[in-house]
Amino acid sequence: MPLIKIDDKEIEVEKGITVLQAAIDERIEIPYYCYHPALSIVGSCRMCLVEIEGMPKLQVSCNTTIGELPPERKKDGKYDMIVRTQTEIVKRERENVLEFLLLNHPLDCPVCDQAGECYLQDYSYKYGRAHSRFLEEKRVRKNEYLGSNVIINHNRCIMCTRCVRFTREISGTNELFVQARGDVSKISIFEDKSLDNMLAGNVIDICPVGALLSTDYIHKNRFWNLEAKKSICTDCSVGCNILVYSQNNRIYRLNARENHNVNGYFICDIGRYGFHRYEDAEKVTSPLIRSDGGFKPISWEGALKEIYEQFSMSMSGEKQQIVGIASPFHTNESLFMFGRLMNNIFKDKSIIGKLPFIEDYEIHFDSGFRISKDRSPNRKGLLDFCPNLEDEILQKVKAGEVRLCYALDDGVDRKLDEEWESFFKSQRFLVVQTYAMTPLAKLAHLILLGPSPMEREGTMTNDQGRIQWLNPSVSLTNKTRPDWEIIMEFMNTVGKRELKYTSVNEVNLEMGERFPDYRGRTFFKIGYQGLPKKNITTSRPSEGRQAIQ
Amino acid sequence: MAQNRTFKFTNPQRVEKILSQYPDKRSATLPLLHLAQEQEGYLTSAAIEAVAELVEIHPGEMMDTVSFYTMFYTKPMGKNHVQVCQTLSCSLNGADSLVDHISEKYKIAHGDVSQDGKISLVKVECLGSCDTAPVIRINDSNYESMTVEKFDKIVESI
Amino acid sequence: MASFEPILTRHIHREDSHTLSGYKNVGGYKALEKMFKTMAPDEVIEEVNASNLRGRGGAGFPTGVKWGFIPKDSHKPTYLICNADESEPGTFKDRLLLNKTPHMMLEGMIISSYAIDCHLAFIYIRGEFYQEHKILEKAVEEAYATNLLGNDILGSGFDLEVVIHRGAGAYICGEEMGLIESLEGKRGWPRIKPPFPAIEGYLRCPTIVSNVETLACLPHILNRGADWFKSIGSEKGSGPKLYCISGRVNNPGVYEEPLGILLTDLIFKRGGGLIDGRELKAVFPGGSSSAILRADEIDGLRMDFDSLSAAKTMLGSAGIIVMDETVDMVSVCLNIARFYAHESCGQCTPCREGTTWLVKILNRIYQGNGSLNDIDMIFEITDNIGGLIDFSKGSFGKTICPFGEAVAWPIRSFVEKFKDEFIAYVAKGVEVS
Repeated sequence: MPLIKIDDKEIEVEKGITVLQAAIDERIEIPYYCYHPALSIVGSCRMCLVEIEGMPKLQVSCNTTIGELPPERKKDGKYDMIVRTQTEIVKRERENVLEFLLLNHPLDCPVCDQAGECYLQDYSYKYGRAHSRFLEEKRVRKNEYLGSNVIINHNRCIMCTRCVRFTREISGTNELFVQARGDVSKISIFEDKSLDNMLAGNVIDICPVGALLSTDYIHKNRFWNLEAKKSICTDCSVGCNILVYSQNNRIYRLNARENHNVNGYFICDIGRYGFHRYEDAEKVTSPLIRSDGGFKPISWEGALKEIYEQFSMSMSGEKQQIVGIASPFHTNESLFMFGRLMNNIFKDKSIIGKLPFIEDYEIHFDSGFRISKDRSPNRKGLLDFCPNLEDEILQKVKAGEVRLCYALDDGVDRKLDEEWESFFKSQRFLVVQTYAMTPLAKLAHLILLGPSPMEREGTMTNDQGRIQWLNPSVSLTNKTRPDWEIIMEFMNTVGKRELKYTSVNEVNLEMGERFPDYRGRTFFKIGYQGLPKKNITTSRPSEGRQAIQ
Repeated sequence: MAQNRTFKFTNPQRVEKILSQYPDKRSATLPLLHLAQEQEGYLTSAAIEAVAELVEIHPGEMMDTVSFYTMFYTKPMGKNHVQVCQTLSCSLNGADSLVDHISEKYKIAHGDVSQDGKISLVKVECLGSCDTAPVIRINDSNYESMTVEKFDKIVESI
Repeated sequence: MASFEPILTRHIHREDSHTLSGYKNVGGYKALEKMFKTMAPDEVIEEVNASNLRGRGGAGFPTGVKWGFIPKDSHKPTYLICNADESEPGTFKDRLLLNKTPHMMLEGMIISSYAIDCHLAFIYIRGEFYQEHKILEKAVEEAYATNLLGNDILGSGFDLEVVIHRGAGAYICGEEMGLIESLEGKRGWPRIKPPFPAIEGYLRCPTIVSNVETLACLPHILNRGADWFKSIGSEKGSGPKLYCISGRVNNPGVYEEPLGILLTDLIFKRGGGLIDGRELKAVFPGGSSSAILRADEIDGLRMDFDSLSAAKTMLGSAGIIVMDETVDMVSVCLNIARFYAHESCGQCTPCREGTTWLVKILNRIYQGNGSLNDIDMIFEITDNIGGLIDFSKGSFGKTICPFGEAVAWPIRSFVEKFKDEFIAYVAKGVEVS
C-alpha cells in the first residue's frame, strides 16, 4: 500500500485512490465544488488544487491518483507522494478561484435558503478574500423552474455541473444540460422536458450553493433554526437513510443521508416529500370511543378499562375468537409485543392477519438506486415477529363466532375495499391503534392513539434484512403513547402481566433475547447506519412460534 | 416561435450513410445536425428531437451539444446570412467599418435578421483567412479582401 | 537567406495540385508504396522518431514519442484523428494544405494509421471550412476509388477507413480533448487529463490527434529519410514549416521555410515589409495565443520552438500577425480579450469568469473610464487564469486545457510591453472627467 504524506500526516492509502479521497478519509479539509463521490470527475471548479512535490504546477486533488513509486524514487526515502494543502500558493489559489466564483454572485445570503449550509459561504469565510475588486456590472438572470419541485437561481450557480451529471449518471433521465458556453452558459431544460423524475429532489441536496431550490421549502425557514435528526424513510421497504429537519415539532424538509449499504447518497421524491401526508391527514388527538354514531374522547384509563371489559371475557373460556391485525408499518418492537399478546396471552383463541400489502411499481435505476414495490417499511419484521400470520384471514375467520379485533393501523396510505370494510364492521368490538382518522379508524369502537411514522421509535428491518433505527423526528404529542407501550398495557390489562418496560430499548433487548436474529441489534450497536440481521434462525413459522413461547 | 411540429429527413439514405460511418451512434450527432440545418435553414425543436432519437440520447443532451456551437442556429437566419470576421487581422484591416455599414444599411445589429428576412448579420471569430483580411462569409462562401463597395455588389448579385 | 526548396507547398501553384492525378504526377503516394513494400509499422515509428518531427498544431510535441504512448497490450481499437480544426487567429496554413494538396495529408494519415495500427481515422475539419470540406470529400472519394483507402490498400493487407467530420464553430475543439468530445457528439468541453488520449481518447480507446501539417510531413520523411528531414532547419527543430503572415504587411500569405528562420526575414522579405513603409510596432509570432513581441525584441529571433520559448513567447501555430506604428494596442488587446471570452468553453471557473472580467476592464479603460489600479488588476487576473508564467520551469496552467494560458500570455504581454499606452488611456479618461 502506498504511503503518502498530506501536510504533516502520514497516511497509508489504497493504491489508485485520489488525493482528495485520501484527504476526505483522513478528515483533512480540501475544499471542492464539482467533485461528488457518486459522480464522474470533471475537475472544472479548480477549488481542490494542491501542491504535489515534484509536479511543476498545482494539481486538482480530485483527479490525481496515488500510485506506488519504485524504492529508489520514493520521496524523502519513503513516501509515494507528498501533498501540501496549506502552502501560500495553494491558499492564494483558493482565494483566486473564490474571487472568480463570487464576481457575478448576488451575495444575497440574507434571503438565500442555502445560507448556513453553503459551501460558497463557508469556503469564502475560510479561504476567501475580504473585499471585492469587481467594479463591473454583474450578470443578472431570472429564476426559472426546472421541474415542478425545483427552481434554479442562475445568479448563484457556480456551474459545477453536479446536477447535470446526476441526471445523466444516477437518475439516468438526462433532463438537465448546460446551455451555451463561456460565461453565458447556464443549467437548462429542453422545452417541456422538465426535471420531473422520481429522484429529482436530489439535485437540491447535491447543489453545493443556493442555486437549486426546493419549491416545497423555499423561504420557509433558516437552516440554523432547524434541528436535524438522523432517521430512515418509511415509504418503502428499502429504508433509505434520511435527515429530518424540524423546528418546534414541525418538519420542514427531508434530505438524503449517506449509507452505502442502503441508499448511497440519495433518496427518492416519494420519501422526500412524503411527510406532508401526515400533516394533511385528519389527526386523532386523544383516545376515542364510539358514541352516538360519532366518537368522543376517552382517557387512557377509560380506554384500558374498556379493553379489559371486552377482552378479558375471552380469557374465561367463552368461545370467542380474537383477531389481531398486524401492520408492516410498525416497528419490530411493536410487532414483537403484538406477537406476544396474540400468541402468549390469547393463544389458540387468536388469529393474526394483515391487510393486503400496499404495493406499487418497483423502480430500478441503472445506477443501482431502487424504489421497492413494497411501499411499507417493515414487511420483513412483520413476518419475523408474527410468523404465524394468516394470509387468508378473511376466509379463515370462522363465521358466526363472536369476534373481537385489535388492529394496528397501516396509517394514511391504507384504503379499505368493501370486503375488508364489511369484515371490520362485522366485529363485535374493534380496537384500532392509529394516529389519523383513516377509513379503518372510522370503523372502530375504540381508537387508541399511537404515534405517526415521524414520531415512532424503534427498529425496522428493510427488504435486505438490514435492521435500522427509526428515530423520532418530532416528539410525541400530549396524549399519544408509543405503540409498544399501548400493547404492553393491553397485555398487562387483559393478560394480568406485570410488564414494566420504560423505553423502547428495553423492549428491543427482550426481543433480542427471544429472537436470536435480532440479538444485540440494539440502538447502541446498530447506530445510524444499521446492521444486517444475524440469520441465526430462519423465520420458519414453527421455530418462530417456539421463540415466542 | 413558430416551429414545425414534425421533422423528417428528406434524404434517409444520407442519414443511414452517416450513421454507418461511426463506431457509435452518438458520434453521428454533428453531421446529422448539419444535415438537418441544411434542410430547414435552422434547427427546429422537432429536428433536434429527431436527431436525438436517431442517436439515442435525450433531447436535453442534444440541446447541450447544439447550444455549444455557434454554427447551429435555433431560429431562422436571413436568406443571406452574413458573417463578418472581427478577429485581429480582419479588425486591423477594416472589419469594424463593414459591420457598421451593414448594420446601418439593413437596420440590423449582431444576431438580427432584417425585416424582409433577406439579410442577417453576425460577428464571428477568425475564419482562417487572415491573409485576405477583412473577410466575410455569406452562407457557405467566403468573400475576401472586402470593402464596403464590394460587399454591396456581392449582395446584389446573390 | 540560404536557398530553401519548399517541400509541402512546392507544387501548390499547379492547377491540379488538389487532385489525385495532380498529386501522383509530382510523386504522390510513392512513400506509401515504399512503406508497404519495405517497412514494418515499428520501422515507420523509428523513422519518424529519428526525424525529430514535432507537432505543428501548437504544442510542438514529438510525433513519434506520442505514437509510442499507445498501450501495446490494448484490446481496444486505435483511432487517428487529423486535427483540421484550424482556428487560431492569424493562422491559415492548414487551410492552404486542405485546399491545395489534400492528398499529401491523406497519404500522411495512411502512413500514421499503419504505424499505430489504426483502421478507422477521422478528419475533424473546421465547420467554417466549407469549400475545403468539399475538396477533401472529393479527395477521399478518389482515394477510395483507387484503393488508397478501404480494404487491403494497394494489396498490402492493410485496411483503413477515413471519415470526414465537420465541426460547427468552436475554437476550443482544436484542443485535442475538446475535439475528441466533439467528435463523440458532445459539447467541446475538454476532458480532464489523465488519462491522456493515447491511452483513453475517442470512445475511451487509444487515440492519436495530429495536425494537418504534421501529417503532410510524413510522406516526405518516408520518401527522403529521417536524416534529410533532420538536416532542414536547426538542431532545435527540424523540417519545413509553414508560416502565416497577416496584419499590416504588403504580402500577407503562407510561406514555407525551414524551422528556425529569422522572424525579420519572414516579415520584411517574405511578407514584403509593412504597408505604406510604416514602422513595425509589434508582432504575434505564433497566433494570438502567443505573447506579443515588441519591434525591439525581434532582431535575430529565430522561428523555432526553443528560440521562441527562450524569448518568453511561443511558435504556436506560426501565425504571425504584424502591427504597425498606427495600431492602437489597447484596442487590439480588447479585440483579443473579446475573442477569448467568446471562445471560452466555460468549464473551468478561472477561464469562464476571468475572460469576461478582462473584457469588462479593458473595455472600461478603452472607454476612458479606467484607473491605474485596473492595469495592475489585469496582471493579477491573467495570472489567476493562466498561472504564473515561469519559462524556465514551463507554464503553470490553472485550467483543464491550455486555453487559460492562451488568454493570459497575450493579454499580459500587451499590458506589460505597452503599459504607456494603457496609462495614456487612463490619463485621457481622467482629463475628460
